[in-house]
Amino acid sequence: MSRQLPIADAQEVRRYARALVRRHPGQLALALGLHGLAAVAGLVAPRLLGNLVEGLSTGTTTRTVDEVAMAIAAFVVTQAVLTRFAAFCSARLGERVLAELREEFVDRILAIPLSTVERAGTGDLLTRTSRDVSALSHSVRFAVPEILIATLTAVFVVAAILLTSPLLALPCLVAVPMLWFGTRWYLRRAPAGYLRENAAYSDITDGISETVEGSRTTEALRLQDRRRVRTDSDIARSYAAEKYTLMLRTVWFPIVEVGYVVPVVATLLLGGWFYLEGWVTLGEVTAATLYVQALVDPIDRLLSWLDELQVGGASLARLLGVAGRPAPTPTPTQTPAGRGQRLVAEDVRYAYVEGREVLHGIDLTVEPGERLAMVGPSGAGKSTLGRLLAGIHAPTGGSVTVGGVPLASLPLDELRSHVALVTQEHHVFIGTVRDNLVMARPGATDEEVRSALAAVDALDWVTALPSDLDTVVGTGGHPVPPAQAQQLALARLVLADPHTLVLDEATSLIDPRAARHLERSLAAVLQGRTVIAIAHRLFSAHDADRVAVVEDGRITELGSHAELVAAGGSYAALWRSWHGEEGHSAQKRRQSPYSTVA
Amino acid sequence: MRPLPVGDPGDPDVRSATRYLLWLAARTWPSLLAAMGFATLWLVSQALIPATVGRAIDAGLSARDRDGLLRWGAVLFGLGLVTGVSGVLRHRMAAFNYLSAIYRTVQLTVQQANRIGATLPKRLSTGEVVSIGTSDINHIGGALDITARGTGSLVAVVTVAVILLTTSVPLGLVVVVGVPVMMLIAGALIKPLQRRQQVYRDQEGKLTTRAGDLVAGLRVLRGVGGEATFAGRYRAESQDLRSAGVRVARIESLLAASEILLPGMFLVLVTWLGARFALRGEITAGELVALYGYAAFLVSPLRQLTEAIDRLTRGHVAARRVVRMFTLVPEFTSPAAPVTAPRGPLVDAESGLTVQPGRLTAIAAREPGDAAAIADRLGRFADGRVTLSGVPLADLDLADLRRRILLADNDARLFAGPLRAELDPAGKGDRPVADALDAASAVDVVDALPDGLDALVAERGREFSGGQQQRLRLARALVADPETLVLVEPTSAVDAHTEARIAARLGAARAGRTTVVCTTSPLVLDQADEVNFVADGRVVAAGTHRDLLRRRPDYAAAVTREEDQ
Repeated sequence: MSRQLPIADAQEVRRYARALVRRHPGQLALALGLHGLAAVAGLVAPRLLGNLVEGLSTGTTTRTVDEVAMAIAAFVVTQAVLTRFAAFCSARLGERVLAELREEFVDRILAIPLSTVERAGTGDLLTRTSRDVSALSHSVRFAVPEILIATLTAVFVVAAILLTSPLLALPCLVAVPMLWFGTRWYLRRAPAGYLRENAAYSDITDGISETVEGSRTTEALRLQDRRRVRTDSDIARSYAAEKYTLMLRTVWFPIVEVGYVVPVVATLLLGGWFYLEGWVTLGEVTAATLYVQALVDPIDRLLSWLDELQVGGASLARLLGVAGRPAPTPTPTQTPAGRGQRLVAEDVRYAYVEGREVLHGIDLTVEPGERLAMVGPSGAGKSTLGRLLAGIHAPTGGSVTVGGVPLASLPLDELRSHVALVTQEHHVFIGTVRDNLVMARPGATDEEVRSALAAVDALDWVTALPSDLDTVVGTGGHPVPPAQAQQLALARLVLADPHTLVLDEATSLIDPRAARHLERSLAAVLQGRTVIAIAHRLFSAHDADRVAVVEDGRITELGSHAELVAAGGSYAALWRSWHGEEGHSAQKRRQSPYSTVA
Repeated sequence: MRPLPVGDPGDPDVRSATRYLLWLAARTWPSLLAAMGFATLWLVSQALIPATVGRAIDAGLSARDRDGLLRWGAVLFGLGLVTGVSGVLRHRMAAFNYLSAIYRTVQLTVQQANRIGATLPKRLSTGEVVSIGTSDINHIGGALDITARGTGSLVAVVTVAVILLTTSVPLGLVVVVGVPVMMLIAGALIKPLQRRQQVYRDQEGKLTTRAGDLVAGLRVLRGVGGEATFAGRYRAESQDLRSAGVRVARIESLLAASEILLPGMFLVLVTWLGARFALRGEITAGELVALYGYAAFLVSPLRQLTEAIDRLTRGHVAARRVVRMFTLVPEFTSPAAPVTAPRGPLVDAESGLTVQPGRLTAIAAREPGDAAAIADRLGRFADGRVTLSGVPLADLDLADLRRRILLADNDARLFAGPLRAELDPAGKGDRPVADALDAASAVDVVDALPDGLDALVAERGREFSGGQQQRLRLARALVADPETLVLVEPTSAVDAHTEARIAARLGAARAGRTTVVCTTSPLVLDQADEVNFVADGRVVAAGTHRDLLRRRPDYAAAVTREEDQ
């Protein structure tokens, strides 16, 4: 039904990550430098302790002991201070990069062509906006700095061992193959395993909220057993996913743990042998043993954050993928001169999927100021035709032009000033009432906003809101019932002021009483514009200048209401069943939306 | 590991949050005990490593004893193996305890939601119940998970304290008293950190909501413009979040520094004292190294103890919420001694409506809310004076009543899962499903799906348009084929052609059964055997649609959607 948005490939992710690293070279160098110094300061203490132990066996004085203790204390304080600034600088840089990442992502979303959004749906995009942004955020805030610090620390510890005695660095190498192969085995499987685990877990939480929100339906239809079975199967799937990752850890953990203890034992034994042979001193062996133990912590942190880094990388790929479909830059060859242009569809064909055409050659000319109603059964292609006429999709065959210029070639801003599509989908954005309106015409004055609200009969309730135009509405804000939300959408249109409107069942989801009120608001919007209405209720068709019956991707009947009723086709049949044989009040209806100009 | 989920989650002890947690613990006591055992072994073997290194230095290196060195090296390696193996076994057991606690709580939550049904949304907000799913079960699982490491840490701390005190009483006392004091000092930073983290998380949540808002309204935005305005607003909030992140980092970096400074200074103190003791010959060089190791080691089990207290507290708070949900009781229940009622007229005394069995009765209300209220009473989703064949609905067995009278309104929900099972939960077969889809004019909806009836419906059926959802819900109600079906505005979201088809087929699909339709659509009203016109909550006129159109101008005005004024 919907096609997923693309995902960036590994090369692109790496290129982007590299560019990101280079973006703030000064801050990055500062953070890395501070971490490095802190790590160095941290390595002196074990070294001094080694000296102390050696001094004890060779004989030393209380004064020396006191001095060494003071020195160790000084280094500890230095390390703590450096760590404070290092951690702060790297976190500040992380927050900065993270803010840039998410802002760039939102810019990308806002630049996606409308046809892509229509095709892919918003579900995938929503997942990327919430889940992937937060996964990436987790990576940038925790995994990246932890891994950087751990790597730096490990490098310095190894350097310290080499400085103590290059010979004593050899025993450490025995653990490298174990850790390397064990971790590689784990990392190849872990990200997919954890993604599956998380997905299975969200199925459980989704299932719970579904069970709770639908508990009335469950009771009415006696679906209790089905809910229970669904829950149990969700749990079984989650358990299978958990068991898989648990198996991965069951293999990996012991390898790593043994990988940590082997170098300590090796350093002690080989170091002991070297000492007995007289190649190294006792202090060097003690220090090296302590250093090897000190190596365990950074290596452990490094390894345990690697899979988080992988997850963050995968999320970054999905975020970058949103831009993978570049907006086709329309070539502004010509622009239709002003308003009052005729909208012409010639031999229009359209297929969402290649080879499955849903519109089979439609010819239609809509005159300026005309009211055209489109009726027909669900799935006949009315909405698709409406989208083509509004320039949202380009036809796969034939052309849709306004004033001789193909709609699909118009830049978005230009297109919006010609034709707008109004659907039953109305969305109130988080923000003030004013924000929700001026979006259609940035820079509109309060006066213009108020007159637009007045035009759709919404000024009264807006004025009655707690803070008037400044009232915050949308998710979490002041509640706006659907009918009023629809009025806001209409007021937006008044501000946007296109000369042609395509209405796709614009009022169909509103409860009948509210719809009556809305239709009055709508009438005000339609005043003086060309209107193509995909009619939901027949009485709106009745008042149109012409009615087009769309069946099976073709226009099968086209003419005025009276002509079509007289012709006795499918429209006539429907009209009769709607009104009973008497055609009861056909003459009396005056207030439907088209009547103001009909 | 035993398979999960368990077939029957059992009967929980819901007298209090603590009792519920204990009840959960008792359900998995063997693995809980095993996890505690392995955790103890894991931590104690870690605790012994510094001493072993110390002995290896003393008995092997300093004494220049090759065999001693080898022996202690082997002991060290053995301890490493024990740590690795007991660590992973502990992890497996604790994971099982965690999972079986959360799965059991999920099962009980669903069981309880099923038991109280329509009462649930009235008693608890969706947010509260969703937070059971998203966070509470995690906290409960976390509480059971931490019991293992908590116990192990306690044993390890005691073990180390005993070893230290036997090595040197004054040094042992410094460590035993010093480490907890150090933890307390570091803990002082935790509170402000958590506060700022909370602020950060709230702002992060707000920003995610804002981005989600942009995506949800993307079609509108791309249709009429305003990208720059909203991108600017997003950027401003994103920068606010960045500042909040920097504020968190300020405390976090202090904490990071204190985690180096406090144990570091403490170690210096211990080492300095130890070295002086060693000089005086009170302890050996190896014991000094071990002392250093113990003091460093203690930080970890003490941190785990703090974590244990925190997670047990959170688990308790979460259990309180869960227990509250578990103790809710349904609003409508079966009477102690239910009576049976034969098929007969269904009468709502409040509105004066009488529904004759086997007929298609329509309710056309001037105020749509009135019709919905009557429907709720007829289906016993609201209290009222409704009788079936003269027997009050409250005297009937509730399960039996739900089987006989089905209320299908537009708030009814399509659940996620295979479409076939969604339409036909009772498994009545392909024939009734095909007939119902035809009557609901929903064949094209199913045909358009790549897998037809085997297609998976997404949550809330959100990939279907409003009209398609409505037709599928109608088909589902028709497949259920109850003795009495109460439909509320079943065609409000479909186009006129489709509505005409549904209206024409509804009567045949329900032939011989009782059907009530609340609607103002002339196409549907025209097909009804009898139309009841409701004004101000009362039936003010009854007859056929055409009859009423002729007789009652107010009826004509209501159903043809003309303006009264």
